[in-house]
Amino acid sequence: MSKWNIGRLLLLMESLVAKDLKVRYKRSILGFAWFLLKPLFSMVVYYFVFTRILRFGGAIPHFSLFLLTGLLPWNFFSSSLSGSTSSLLDNHRLIRSIYFPRMALPAAEVAANLIHLLLALLVLETLLIVFGHYPGLSIILILPALLLLTMMTTGISMLLSIGNVFYRDVKQFIEVLLLAWFYASPIIYPLDSIGVDIIQSDRLVQILRFNPISGFMEIMHSIFYAGTWPPLWCWVSLASWSIVLLAAGMTVFRKAEPVVVKEL
Amino acid sequence: MKPGSIRMKNVTLDYRLYHDRAVTLRETMLNFFNRKTRIEHFRALDDVSFNIEPGESVAVIGSNGAGKSTTLKILAGIYKPTSGTSNSVGRIASLLDLGVGFHPDLTGEENLMLNGALLGLNRNEMRKLVPLISEFAQLERFMDTPVKYFSNGMFMRLGFSLATAVDPDILLIDEVLAVGDVGFQNRCYERISEFQGKGRTIIFVSHDLEAVSRLCERAIWLHDGRIKMDGAARDVLSEYLETAGKQNHISTSATPKEWGSREVWFDSVILRKADGAPSCIFRSGEKIVVDALIKSRLPSIVDNIVFGFSIHRMDGETVIGSNNLEMNQPLLSFSGSVESRIEIDLSIAEPGTYLLGVALTDPKANLDYHWQEFFYSLTLLEERKDPPLRLNEAIWTQE
Repeated sequence: MSKWNIGRLLLLMESLVAKDLKVRYKRSILGFAWFLLKPLFSMVVYYFVFTRILRFGGAIPHFSLFLLTGLLPWNFFSSSLSGSTSSLLDNHRLIRSIYFPRMALPAAEVAANLIHLLLALLVLETLLIVFGHYPGLSIILILPALLLLTMMTTGISMLLSIGNVFYRDVKQFIEVLLLAWFYASPIIYPLDSIGVDIIQSDRLVQILRFNPISGFMEIMHSIFYAGTWPPLWCWVSLASWSIVLLAAGMTVFRKAEPVVVKEL
Repeated sequence: MKPGSIRMKNVTLDYRLYHDRAVTLRETMLNFFNRKTRIEHFRALDDVSFNIEPGESVAVIGSNGAGKSTTLKILAGIYKPTSGTSNSVGRIASLLDLGVGFHPDLTGEENLMLNGALLGLNRNEMRKLVPLISEFAQLERFMDTPVKYFSNGMFMRLGFSLATAVDPDILLIDEVLAVGDVGFQNRCYERISEFQGKGRTIIFVSHDLEAVSRLCERAIWLHDGRIKMDGAARDVLSEYLETAGKQNHISTSATPKEWGSREVWFDSVILRKADGAPSCIFRSGEKIVVDALIKSRLPSIVDNIVFGFSIHRMDGETVIGSNNLEMNQPLLSFSGSVESRIEIDLSIAEPGTYLLGVALTDPKANLDYHWQEFFYSLTLLEERKDPPLRLNEAIWTQE
């Protein structure tokens, strides 16, 4: 076997990400700007729906900024999951003709989306400052939070990419799942006291905290939108889900890899 | 173990074969209740062991489905053996499929830069190699063109040049050299000879037996996942060809089929060279003689029998075919038995192994007497160069 050390793996990841970014914006006029335009468009839509039609957004000041704070990481999360689901199938020729650690394929998908997220967060922070939401010291917590979110997303991505090789239903299912997951996550509403007012059920709010992505979303709201220190439950939830899901993803991937290569 | 050596010990590899393969969850559920899904294991390799020393050039031959490609995939680390061990030392370049990492929308240069990582090269190393690679592929003028506008040959050339740009200890080649024009093929073979000259290990899978005998001194013959013979290429090849000729068929994706009413039938069919020697290897310019002994169980004279033949690729695709009716030649008319002969003169554009089929029919009466499709394997080679060698000079000296 050719030797695969960590340096070579990073090199491969880098080139897979570079390829992904190059290909994604070939022949596109707005190109890289789409990483911001997509969540901005959805923000506008949700803003009108939830302030003009359903009218609960009014309870949250600067609702559009609040929405954007959650939509950017959600966009990262959902694009990573739907993109990596088919990452093994899409690269079946490559997998069957040269050896490399195949975990790099779903992981590179997540990494490419992470780059988008980082740039988008810079723009978000600028917007927030313009509208008077100054960041507190808690902003440094974005780094560990992003690390945990990336771990969790990578874990789920690995599970999905493997699952989709055996059952093509995964690709269809994940779209529906993401739709439900979106509304079950604190993106268009918060999970604090305002959230309880909107949802009008303390019990449901407690249940929603078990959603793996809830912790991260609330951390986002705290450090970007409110400029406060995130509550402890967010960290407990996010950290435990991240470790569990990444471990599960890697274990399943390792176990299934030799079989998957022959199934492709 | 030195770089370039390979040890395969008792390697067995099973594939899962699905009957009523469930591809969706719904089907799985249904099958779970009906217990319809039977998973069967297909043994692609069965207890295969061999050692290859640095600097050896080894051909792996055998009919389709014998396990040749699977062997290469295990050596390349793509498949893990179900049992047994496979070890190799040194950097491996696998030419199992060319240009696989290439993205159609990216230019030749972008693709090279981005795929170097698969070979373990970083940007700086790649930057230095790109001119050499494009020069070898003779594609310098097209390096800023998206590869989707490349012809198939250009694409393969770039893929081959990239895959062999790094000096590997072990080179795995699977049938990929059949692409490209003759000029480029020769350059490929030159590059392979270069590697041989440097003492690199080469494993070569091909149906092109002439290339095998040219490149390799050792051959491993796989049959149904087992090693049938392992030894000097000359011995293995001649044994292989003899068996392939004797056998009515080589098991392929196009499996031999036989049907018809058999009131008139082929009792025997033998392929010969023009001088009468039985053979299944023909060169361009040599006549293929099909000698058939045809028998009839009908009481009266049968006439207007059409005797046809067809030649197919190994996957069953028909290449050419004709019969005595179509070519305005005498139809068969006999009682009891008759010996009939077709002399086929082919010009061979693509050397390789083909399948010959024969048929006896009576189109007027709409009768199919006897069909033998994909029945006889033929290896067709390029023209023999005469003389194959030319002496330029020989010098004798005495000290």
